[in-house]
Amino acid sequence: MAQISSIVRLSFRDYSHEWRMSGCFILALSSVLAPMMILFGLKFGIVSTMLDQLIENPTNREIKPVGSGRYNDAWIDRFRERADVEFIIPKTRALAATIQLKSNTANRILSTELLATAVGDPLLSRSTRFPKGYNEVILSQSAAKKINVNPGDEIDASLARQFQGKRERVHLPINVIDIADVSVTSRNVAFVSLDLLIASELFKDGRAVKDLSWGGDSEASTERIYPSFRLYARSIYDVEKLVNDLEKEGAKIKANVAEIATVQSIDQNLTVIFWIIACVGAIGFSFSLGASLWANVDRKRKELSVLRLIGFKSGRIVMFPVLQSFYTAILGWLLAVLVYLGFEHLINYFLAPRLNLDRALCFLLTEHFLWALGVTVVVAISAAILGGARAAGIEPSEGLREI
Amino acid sequence: MTIVYRLKNVVKERLIDGVGFRLVVPDIQISAKENIALIGHSGCGKSTLLDILALISKPDALDQMSLHPVDGDSHDIAKLWEHDKQSPLSQIRKQHIGYVLQSGGLLPYLTVRENIELPRKLLNLPDDDSIKSISRVLGIDRQLDKLPGLLSAGERQRASFARALSHRPSILIADEPTAALDPITAQKIMAVVMEVIRGLNITLITASHDWAGVYKMELRTLKQESEVIDDGKVYQSRFSD
Repeated sequence: MAQISSIVRLSFRDYSHEWRMSGCFILALSSVLAPMMILFGLKFGIVSTMLDQLIENPTNREIKPVGSGRYNDAWIDRFRERADVEFIIPKTRALAATIQLKSNTANRILSTELLATAVGDPLLSRSTRFPKGYNEVILSQSAAKKINVNPGDEIDASLARQFQGKRERVHLPINVIDIADVSVTSRNVAFVSLDLLIASELFKDGRAVKDLSWGGDSEASTERIYPSFRLYARSIYDVEKLVNDLEKEGAKIKANVAEIATVQSIDQNLTVIFWIIACVGAIGFSFSLGASLWANVDRKRKELSVLRLIGFKSGRIVMFPVLQSFYTAILGWLLAVLVYLGFEHLINYFLAPRLNLDRALCFLLTEHFLWALGVTVVVAISAAILGGARAAGIEPSEGLREI
Repeated sequence: MTIVYRLKNVVKERLIDGVGFRLVVPDIQISAKENIALIGHSGCGKSTLLDILALISKPDALDQMSLHPVDGDSHDIAKLWEHDKQSPLSQIRKQHIGYVLQSGGLLPYLTVRENIELPRKLLNLPDDDSIKSISRVLGIDRQLDKLPGLLSAGERQRASFARALSHRPSILIADEPTAALDPITAQKIMAVVMEVIRGLNITLITASHDWAGVYKMELRTLKQESEVIDDGKVYQSRFSD
């Protein structure tokens, strides 16, 4: 124990005594590590973010049926339970899925497309509330602008039909619970509950809707058949299989297969390019750090020989350069983190606004910093162990004469 | 009288600039409290023999090498080298041998006091007055808190002697300790060192070029002969009683 505590003390004293040389090693380490961190910060920030946006964009993951089909609730539920399906909801006939909206703050009546939505709808991923029952709606940005409404406003929704030779119109007070992001759609769309969408179709088909006291023929008790649906795969990598499965079931399907292939290719190629750069950089970093620490151990051979002469055991002697490499690794990493944080701030402050990105262009998570520390310490200590073992294996008499 | 060192047929070989060098020690005995000088020209193997005696250089061949640093403590060094037992060799060196290098060999990042204390700390010896008293005797008590780089060559060498003697070893090995000093300083230092060594009953083995100094200090010398063998390919140096 006396030898271990002495070696810790001596290695630190020597390290601080030779502060210029130690500073050079710290600078050398951080000058290799900091650019690696900036490269990874950019990859993690801009490249991953943009790719994630491409990959996660619901439009790329949407699978659209072409024409009319016949899908019942059981069929919809079966697909909803698949792991590769993120969201599926039925659609009614297009002609029946329109509604007229009017607000107190606009003079016009807006004919709007109805789309059913529910919790988990990727199109409305930024919404925290979803329409329930018959009196709630999320409007698209375009529709909300045209009738000049904001979240919380109440509007009048109306449906018209020709029933038994007479023209009928029903009105429904609806609360605007949210306005969809402009990126969701440029069309006039009212996102409502499936119940309201079905009620709209029933009404237009001349049937009664008991819940809303809308008169008409009584509803047939046969199961409900939907002509279409809105389906989103969990990721773009799931689209192809889903398309195949749907086509096997007789559905005619349209999906952005070509765009998906492009995005997949960009993703794979950029990932490969990054890892090539990262691997080359990491190997260069390891060799550079290893070589400089090895050279340092060689330079210390004389003093290590004196320590052996005084009576330190070989194993303890190895600790001397290992500890000094550990100090270099910690301080070099710390300096690299500071340099990285400075550049991260500059990049995000000056470049992000130019690229119109609403998120950081360059950033790293805490675990990335810890990984960098771990790799640096392991490489530094490995190099020092090799060099130290070599120094400890040499007869002390060989080094002594150089003092 | 106790025999401290006994060496028989010890050989150490090395290649220097393409020329072979062979040190041969047919038979040497060094008694306790004896003061020995290895005298010879540069390159005759004085330092090599001192390194072997200090257990920091492994002979290439040896019939016998034993060490009895103190009464009742005997070590078969030949056996330890044969089995490459570094740990006991290190322990013996730490406990019983003090070594003074030609250049001092002080650690530049420690103060003089810390350099002197180091061997004692490794042996867990208590902090007593010994550092102060040895420093006072050697005339460096006012330099204890300085770094070696701030001392004169003579002061550094005194500090080096102080470090070698601080843990009260039974053997002091000094490799031309005053070679880098002017003759007057060298004489002064050696006079003090000899006084300390005789006072502490320490066995001294030193290497020197200085014949006059050696005779003045009444040191026993080992006979050194050299010859060129193997058609001029090997320079052989032989030390004997």
